[in-house]
Amino acid sequence: MAGSTTAARSGPAAGPIPRSGNGGSLFTGGIGRTAGLVLACLLLAAASALSVLVGNYDLSVADALSALASPGGGDADRVVWHVRVPRTATGVLAGMGLGAAGAVMQGLTRNPLAGPGILGVNAGGAFAVVSAMAFLQVSSLAGHLWSAFAGAALAAVFVYALGSLGGGASPVKLALAGAAFSAMVGSATTAITLLDPSVLNDFRFWTVGSLTRSGSGDLAVAAPAVLAGVGLAVLIGRDLNAVALGEDMARSLGTRALAARALGAVSVVLPAGAATAIAGPIGFVGLVVPHMARALTGPDYRWIVPWCVLLAPTVLLLADVLGRVLIRPEQLQVGIVTGLIGAPFFIHLVRTRKAARL
Amino acid sequence: MAPAYAQSSRAASALIGACLIAACGAPAPEQSAAGTTRTNCGIDVTVDAPPERLYAAYQPGIEVAHALGLGDRLVGTAFLDAEVLAEYADEQARADYVPSLPSREGLLATRPDFVLSGYNNIFAENSGDSSVGTRASLHELGVQTWILSPLCPSEDGLTDRAIDPASVTVDGVYHDLRGLGALFGAEDAAEHVISDMRERIATVEAQVDGAERPTVAIVSPGEDGGYRVASGIDFGTRIIERAGGVNAFADLTGQRNLDVGAEELVERDPDVILTDLCCGADLTRADARSEVRAIMSDPALAGVTAVAEGEVHPFLFADRAAGVRAAHSIELVASRLHPDLVGQ
Repeated sequence: MAGSTTAARSGPAAGPIPRSGNGGSLFTGGIGRTAGLVLACLLLAAASALSVLVGNYDLSVADALSALASPGGGDADRVVWHVRVPRTATGVLAGMGLGAAGAVMQGLTRNPLAGPGILGVNAGGAFAVVSAMAFLQVSSLAGHLWSAFAGAALAAVFVYALGSLGGGASPVKLALAGAAFSAMVGSATTAITLLDPSVLNDFRFWTVGSLTRSGSGDLAVAAPAVLAGVGLAVLIGRDLNAVALGEDMARSLGTRALAARALGAVSVVLPAGAATAIAGPIGFVGLVVPHMARALTGPDYRWIVPWCVLLAPTVLLLADVLGRVLIRPEQLQVGIVTGLIGAPFFIHLVRTRKAARL
Repeated sequence: MAPAYAQSSRAASALIGACLIAACGAPAPEQSAAGTTRTNCGIDVTVDAPPERLYAAYQPGIEVAHALGLGDRLVGTAFLDAEVLAEYADEQARADYVPSLPSREGLLATRPDFVLSGYNNIFAENSGDSSVGTRASLHELGVQTWILSPLCPSEDGLTDRAIDPASVTVDGVYHDLRGLGALFGAEDAAEHVISDMRERIATVEAQVDGAERPTVAIVSPGEDGGYRVASGIDFGTRIIERAGGVNAFADLTGQRNLDVGAEELVERDPDVILTDLCCGADLTRADARSEVRAIMSDPALAGVTAVAEGEVHPFLFADRAAGVRAAHSIELVASRLHPDLVGQ
């Protein structure tokens, strides 16, 4: 798609900030945006607190605080330190990764339907992990991580190529390519799990994401990858703005298009792959949250990306808390909850003309 | 009945249809006049003569078939959760076996006249590949069916979510053995198995009578960090009760298997944990040690009584099945719950 309309409207003086209008965004202007980010931090802190407090094991606020402050040897301490804290940390890391990856994907492809779930990056990562487990007997988290990176990267390249066939990757074509690819590798993942029924239970995680799997050791391995990817995503916000103006405008602004795309790809594959390695494939968070961020802060990616990094883990943790209480004492995996909440939003996006163009 | 129909199920149904219209003039064996009818899960199961081509699905179905001495009538067996009991190993080695459930066509290709299943999902409606169609749809083709009654869904085509807790009893297994014995002309074998089971279970019950009843959870660790436990409507609850314990999850009766988190195990704090390893024709209790290790090494569970006191025991999914294994399982569980009262 040409994108010339956005370029024309933004005007040359505005610098690399696409679209001059704020479009009714809540947090605009330097102070407003900074205050907004502070609020987003508080929201994330509140969601994290909720995630530590809510669960099947009854835990008062005082219990939780004392467990956090001075871990002794009681059940409450063990639940806090070995269940709730790792689960919350997984949510924070995976959410940050998915949010950053989603924002960058939407910016790079100028596609409002882009996201690591929709475009098959998560499914590709999970498929690679399952393949490595089944055929190469890879079982360490580091192994999972590298498999997930490889799978995510291959998926991104494949889906982009598939969506670009026949001239240009339009948003819906790309989403269709992603859906087709997800369905394909999803069934391949299922096929591998069905080959050996005794491990079916073990593989379920790789078809529906969950925050309960990773322990602190796993998180320590994955955290650097998530943080590196997220940091890179924040840094390339300016380049994403230039890309949003269209190829010609970006070139005239001196944006190194190829370098920006390469860095962007790294800041998709790294955090999305790491998120999949620790939490399995989780859909819709990376798609929906950038739209929330855009509504709150406007079209400037220098602000959208940080908002996504804070908002996505908030959303993910709230979805996980919901999964703990909805069918208590059983629990729903967070991947199911995000699917239930996210799918209607996706349909809304596809049906809304305005959102179909970035 | 004479299974005159051919390989493909389409041809089979066409032929059966034709056959029905023509009042099925196949050469009828002796007892055709009366036939034998037994009720299973509220469905009448009628055979004109003892079935000759039995398809047995799942561990409990396969083991019941062998216990009744029907090994030579097996045209196929599918989906074992573990090694069959030692006394049936030779017979099972001779049977045709596939590790996963057949499709409807695959099942019909073996030309069965009777399908005996240990679990209800094989006859589920709308469950795609794991179902061979409802019982009614098989009865229309002249293939009779039976589900072990502690797994009876409230209606044909439903699954674990529709089990009446009142139907989950050891007596249900006796009823099944008696009914199948009558249909297959194996009444003596059935009575023999029943009296053996009754005797063994009564012995255990006498031994554990009056003893304190520890809480027990049947637990399988999952790759996603969660656990699957057996609920109140699982037959495992009855096994635990007869063995002198209480299922820590007995109050939950929504479905047979529940996905819970580590927290729920901490909250319920079972005195004893039995693992729940599944599935494969060569699995033994020794293999279940991997699940014992996984449970013992979860730091969140360190304070659970069963873990702290080393009361996590290898146990198999097959061991909690409703079937002829019940007596074995009750003896095994009792020896874990009350080692001072019940010998190994």
